[in-house]
Amino acid sequence: MKLRSFASFVAPSVVLMLLLLALPLAMTVWLSTRNCTLDMETVTVTQTGPFGARESTTQRARLDADGRAAQACRHVGLDYYRKVLGLGSGNREGENEFRSALRFTLLYVAGTTPFVLVGGMLLALGMNRVTQRLKGAFIAASLLPFIVTPVVGALAIKWLFRDNGLVPHVLEIFGVQLYWMAQAWSAQLLIVLYGIWHVLPFAFIVFYAGLQGVPQDALEAATIDGASRWQKLRYVTLPHLMPLIGFVTLIHLMDAYRVFEPVVVLTQGAFTTSVQYLTYHVLLQEGNPYKASAAAVLTVAGIAVLLVPLLRKTWREQRHGH
Amino acid sequence: MSSTPDTLRRRLLLAGSAAAAAAGVGFLPASSRASSLGCPSVGQPTEINVVGNSFPVVAHVARIAEACTRPGSKVRFKLTPQARIETEQAYASRGASPFDAAVVSMAVFGNLYARRQLAPLTALVDKYRDRYRIEERMLVRVDGEVMAIAFIQNTQNLYYRADLLIRHGLAVPDTYAAMVQVAQALRAAEPTLAHPIAQSFAGGYDIATEFTNVLSSLGGRYFAAGSSRPAFDDAAGVAAVETMRSLLPQMTPNALASNADDVVNQFQQGKAALGVLWASRAARMDDPAASRVVGLMQFAPAPAARARGTSAAHLWWDGVAFPANAPARREATFQVLMEALGEASVRSGNDLAIWVRSAYRPGRLGAGVALQQKAGSPEWPSDPGFSLAHGELGKVLPDAMIGRRSPRAALADAAAAYARAAVEKGILSAGAAT
Repeated sequence: MKLRSFASFVAPSVVLMLLLLALPLAMTVWLSTRNCTLDMETVTVTQTGPFGARESTTQRARLDADGRAAQACRHVGLDYYRKVLGLGSGNREGENEFRSALRFTLLYVAGTTPFVLVGGMLLALGMNRVTQRLKGAFIAASLLPFIVTPVVGALAIKWLFRDNGLVPHVLEIFGVQLYWMAQAWSAQLLIVLYGIWHVLPFAFIVFYAGLQGVPQDALEAATIDGASRWQKLRYVTLPHLMPLIGFVTLIHLMDAYRVFEPVVVLTQGAFTTSVQYLTYHVLLQEGNPYKASAAAVLTVAGIAVLLVPLLRKTWREQRHGH
Repeated sequence: MSSTPDTLRRRLLLAGSAAAAAAGVGFLPASSRASSLGCPSVGQPTEINVVGNSFPVVAHVARIAEACTRPGSKVRFKLTPQARIETEQAYASRGASPFDAAVVSMAVFGNLYARRQLAPLTALVDKYRDRYRIEERMLVRVDGEVMAIAFIQNTQNLYYRADLLIRHGLAVPDTYAAMVQVAQALRAAEPTLAHPIAQSFAGGYDIATEFTNVLSSLGGRYFAAGSSRPAFDDAAGVAAVETMRSLLPQMTPNALASNADDVVNQFQQGKAALGVLWASRAARMDDPAASRVVGLMQFAPAPAARARGTSAAHLWWDGVAFPANAPARREATFQVLMEALGEASVRSGNDLAIWVRSAYRPGRLGAGVALQQKAGSPEWPSDPGFSLAHGELGKVLPDAMIGRRSPRAALADAAAAYARAAVEKGILSAGAAT
């Protein structure tokens, strides 16, 4: 293909990727090295309103010559990265905070990935054996958790497990009294369970689609050679699905590292935080988009590290494939 | 799968706002037809954009505002749970704000005011006071200048099962210690009531708000007088945590994940008998579709955290505030909103909230704010330093509550985290933080 034709074919996607992926990332990196501070003063003002008048102390930006809030921006280098990671002096609790968030994030990644892969595969294999008539209904039902918005899904799980919820109620009938959001282990277990429930349908539908393309002649040949059901799965079906298993793992690792909604909804940050939750806290509670950008870049870096083994494997396969 | 990360979402919002501004959505062809009934004549037909939280009362106001549509002009009221972040971004924008006004809580108002991003409304109020019957108590003034118009109010007050207290001869508690005693007596007398107290102790915003109420009742302070230096990690702060911890044995073990919705559920299902909760939630107690305690809940001022202390609660308002960076349609927006917040609006939505206007008729379930006002509760602090400290406290308090960290160590951590963030934001000078 001529270079010119090649360029005009790939140009739209390259431009879109530059605009929607590279540029925002570059801007985030740039923001993470800056800090803009309003020139604040502490003043005492008289405030009146529905509840009468009161004197109150507040902070207020000084005005510049144009009557606008005076602001000073400066380059802070890697300061915010150090602060988010809790490095440097006088940051003891920051250190604990990031480490504990990272610990739970990795626990969530490690706790959900195998179950998502194995569960999705079992569901796909099972669905492959269901009669045609029932397939539509079964697939629709299995996909529901994936279709539901994460916040709504997490709320549904919370309502099942909170006081007076269905699960504690049923457990109580059998004499088991468990308060799921009372200890760190059970709250964390609940978040992991939510993660598996939510993402399993994604793995299932991808594997199920893959199963439709397994070469029937290879399976028949294996049957003639006397292969058992397990051997056919092990030596024919699974190798055929390997690229898809890699794909689902890749997507899920990226996603799981950014776990956020169940942490906010199920425990509101008590007992457990995640890396993404810390970013949210810095952005919304501390109102610091610069430091939040540093936290976001660190999240991207964390995901990149997680993906290295998978990407290396794909790279090798690509090279040997051609 | 998780949704888009916050940073990306923020940028998309900004890009959307910029695109909307670039497209010049504010100016549409002129039309000279008369306004529809009840809708103000806003001069040049135009498009007005307002943003607010998706609460029922705001939706009610939005419906009335959006009815102000004339040919060629339109009012768009965006209702979103992300109203705070959208408002703060729009008002901070270097270009014109995509929103002509926003419904804001006191905390958001405090931040916007501190950053000088609000337009004074004094002249407009003076011009239209009579036409829209604007009442003085609706006007939020800072040093005399009107900076927002308040329309609803809220507070936290005591909810209690009057039937159970009467049955067992128990008095309505006026201190936290008395509340624990009442709970113990109820638990002994009512075998099904394993956890008599319900309060929203969920990590983050909820628990920090409870702490603020108790601290204030104990006479404690967030900051050293006249400054932004943290002072909540002193003896009063520790006492506030201990007071809150004294409730835990009487609460569900899930308490540290119970937000206001969960507390409402515990009351409605008859699983809890007393506790402090938002006054605005009272109407839910008598909702026959969801409540097993219709007519049984009564309301009293929040207990004090110590004998002869003030009732542990604060007073809140929500209102509309206008951005300094969108002058073009300010007068038209003002008129539309004053119409939507008028007396007719209050009458038709009387039970949706506790309104500020005197046309509001509080029923049995709308008395909370009056109760707390009479009990002398202070107004919720709205300065940015306070919001910052409140956010840091919400993060450490759950650990202090379950004893994973001592209250003193947890509060000291929050104070240090606040000081760092405050220095980064210019609220506190680096020298004053240490």
